[in-house]
Amino acid sequence: MNTVAATVTPSMREERHDAPEPATLDITSRAAKKMRDQLKSRGTPEAFVRFGIRGGGCTGFSYMFEFSDQKRDSDHVFEKDGVSVLVDPKSMTLVRGTTLDFETGIRGHGFKFENPNVSDACGCGESVSF
Amino acid sequence: MTTKGVEIEGAGTLFQIAEPTASTSTRRAPGRAIGIDLGTTHSLVAIAPNGAPPKVLGDGESLVPSVVSYASDAVRVGEAALEDRAVAPSRVLASIKRMMGRSVEDIHFSHPYTLDAASDQVVRIVVGEGSKTVSPVEVSAEILRHLAARASGALGETPQGAVITVPAYFDDAQRQATKDAGRLAGLQVYRLLAEPTAAALAYGLDKGGQGCFAVYDLGGGTFDISVLRLRDGVFQVLATGGDSALGGDDFDRALAEHLLEQGGLDSPTPAQISAAQALARTVKEALSDAESVHARDDALGVAVDVTRERLEGLIRPLVRRSVRACRRALKDAGVVTSDLDGVVLVGGSTRVPLVAREVGAFFERAPLADIDPDRVVALGAAIQADILSGNPRGDVTLLDVVPLSLGLETMGGIVEKIVPRNATIPIAARQVFTNYSEQQTAMSIHVVQGERELADDCRSLARFELQGIPRLPPSMARVEVTFQLDADALLTVTARELMTQVKQTVEVVPTYGLSEAEIEQMVEESYDFAGDDYAARSTAEARVELGRVILAVEAAIEELTPRAGAQAGAPADPDVEASKAALVGARSAMDTGGADAKALNAARKTLEGASEPLARRRMEAALLAGMSGKTLAQVESSMDEERELAPRRGAHEAETVGEGEKHA
Repeated sequence: MNTVAATVTPSMREERHDAPEPATLDITSRAAKKMRDQLKSRGTPEAFVRFGIRGGGCTGFSYMFEFSDQKRDSDHVFEKDGVSVLVDPKSMTLVRGTTLDFETGIRGHGFKFENPNVSDACGCGESVSF
Repeated sequence: MTTKGVEIEGAGTLFQIAEPTASTSTRRAPGRAIGIDLGTTHSLVAIAPNGAPPKVLGDGESLVPSVVSYASDAVRVGEAALEDRAVAPSRVLASIKRMMGRSVEDIHFSHPYTLDAASDQVVRIVVGEGSKTVSPVEVSAEILRHLAARASGALGETPQGAVITVPAYFDDAQRQATKDAGRLAGLQVYRLLAEPTAAALAYGLDKGGQGCFAVYDLGGGTFDISVLRLRDGVFQVLATGGDSALGGDDFDRALAEHLLEQGGLDSPTPAQISAAQALARTVKEALSDAESVHARDDALGVAVDVTRERLEGLIRPLVRRSVRACRRALKDAGVVTSDLDGVVLVGGSTRVPLVAREVGAFFERAPLADIDPDRVVALGAAIQADILSGNPRGDVTLLDVVPLSLGLETMGGIVEKIVPRNATIPIAARQVFTNYSEQQTAMSIHVVQGERELADDCRSLARFELQGIPRLPPSMARVEVTFQLDADALLTVTARELMTQVKQTVEVVPTYGLSEAEIEQMVEESYDFAGDDYAARSTAEARVELGRVILAVEAAIEELTPRAGAQAGAPADPDVEASKAALVGARSAMDTGGADAKALNAARKTLEGASEPLARRRMEAALLAGMSGKTLAQVESSMDEERELAPRRGAHEAETVGEGEKHA
């Protein structure tokens, strides 16, 4: 009987990276205005919007974009026109440099994320790999 | 930053801002929850706000008769409803719990009500002229509303949520009906709690973490015995039993007969019988403390001394009946009395000293009876309600969300998350895993908890092995792994091979022994190590991928290399030689310590490129092998014949078609 046991090579755990690139997130004025409006109509103009990545593994990663009433100490905070967008440090590694825009067009209205960490897109446009 | 190979679902689409998946603490109002014992004859409400000791509400009359009156426009509940009984008996509903979640066909027992003939599925009871009907859920909701109103006074504000107890044997339909009643009464039903479990909680039996308990519940009209197992702080009902027609009322009847006999009433009228039963009840209750009582009712002409011994002689056969049910329940649960760590008495009838004595004798230990047996269930429900409203009590942290992700360790030590953090329980999630190589006949299932990407950094919960996976080419075996978390946060992990149906299961309570602070720390760490984790994960994934391709190429070379001696001296296969050369480079990349995902992926691409002709040949051969049942080597040689035959066969096919046309 052969059981394939999962092993981790210790050496790769010790791998260290160069100084992390600065955490950046660009929010367009249009997106900021939409977020501000929606926070206001939600009755929580002082609340935040949380942007990040959820999941992992075969199920894949997906964007998380939701209202947030609480800010955590570890959160990165990006302000634009009076709106604060929160990104947890774990998600930051995957969304660094993303432009958060609001689009109105043939596909409907909604927020759009231009994520530079994405290197190639699959044909359907629904799923993108880094 | 090496994050290659990671995909984000939904990228490129347009997003809306979503409401966060609310966690327990933000959605619930701590200290505003109530515990309700919704009984067949009586109901109670108790509170234990913000960690306070639990107390039953209602001075003097804490037991609310489970009776609802629709005699007038204003619905009346409890004692007030009982008053209406004399006026409009058909519009006063009692013992409605027996009809909860039942369809008309289910109701075999006798009851004094008129059911609406028009509704065949849901039971509706006619409570007035015309078409005024009510459902058992609506009736129960009235009782719950009455109890909630009582709690409002004590809490100083409207209760927000409730824990309602149900018999351990209640099925899904009965439980759902109870939940619906709660919702209808304007309560958020945090959880339904089994009555015996509530009693055990009231005694704090969960504090021990492990154990086995029996809960003996003798009420007015019913008797229930439950055997509970406590594991990692969670109670599971192992077996239930009882007698739905055995209770304190039977004690009263037995004593009443004796009293009537003593009074020389051979053929008593119904009124006399009911008067005798009322007297018997008083005598029975007095005999719980006194050795002897003088029973006297001038209207009945009864004046007799009754000793406790006499009463015990009358009711002993009934008590013995309940003990026999206990024996059966233990047998069903597969435990013996010495396995038990405690026995709890519930229900007013357990105040009868003979009951406690007989139960103690059977279970070979003194039963727990310090808490008022009428109130113990409501008290336990109140404690649970307080915890679920968001108050951690002592070291008990009961959560309705998964505080840390649950997953499996896969190849390369990578964690595959199955149940994500903050998912609400109960929840079931399923994922299909496959084999890594043809040699793999077992799968090692390692259940881990935590937010980190590598299993080594997560908390190990359980490990087991699924044997008997059929030998199949890589990625062809299908092993379905199901994670099921019930309302008590008991996790059942089941792995099942879909072809052979072999399966293996493990149960564990993921949150047991985890403090709030530890959970917080584990989440924080995942943030601190986010960068390293992703790098480690992608390296591990690249390593697994490269390993898989190496195995596949090795297998292909093996298959396409002629058997030793068969074709000695035959010219070397150029495709095989190219692949062999590429393998050397790939293996050295695997062996290089500290190789990152980029290097590993590059090595994989080189190997894939070099072995591409081999892979194509193998796939063609595999397709044919699949159709003919031949080995690859046989197919390889027959493919040559195939090429020669092909033109001729084409001609033959053309002929056939031609013939067909003729016949048409």
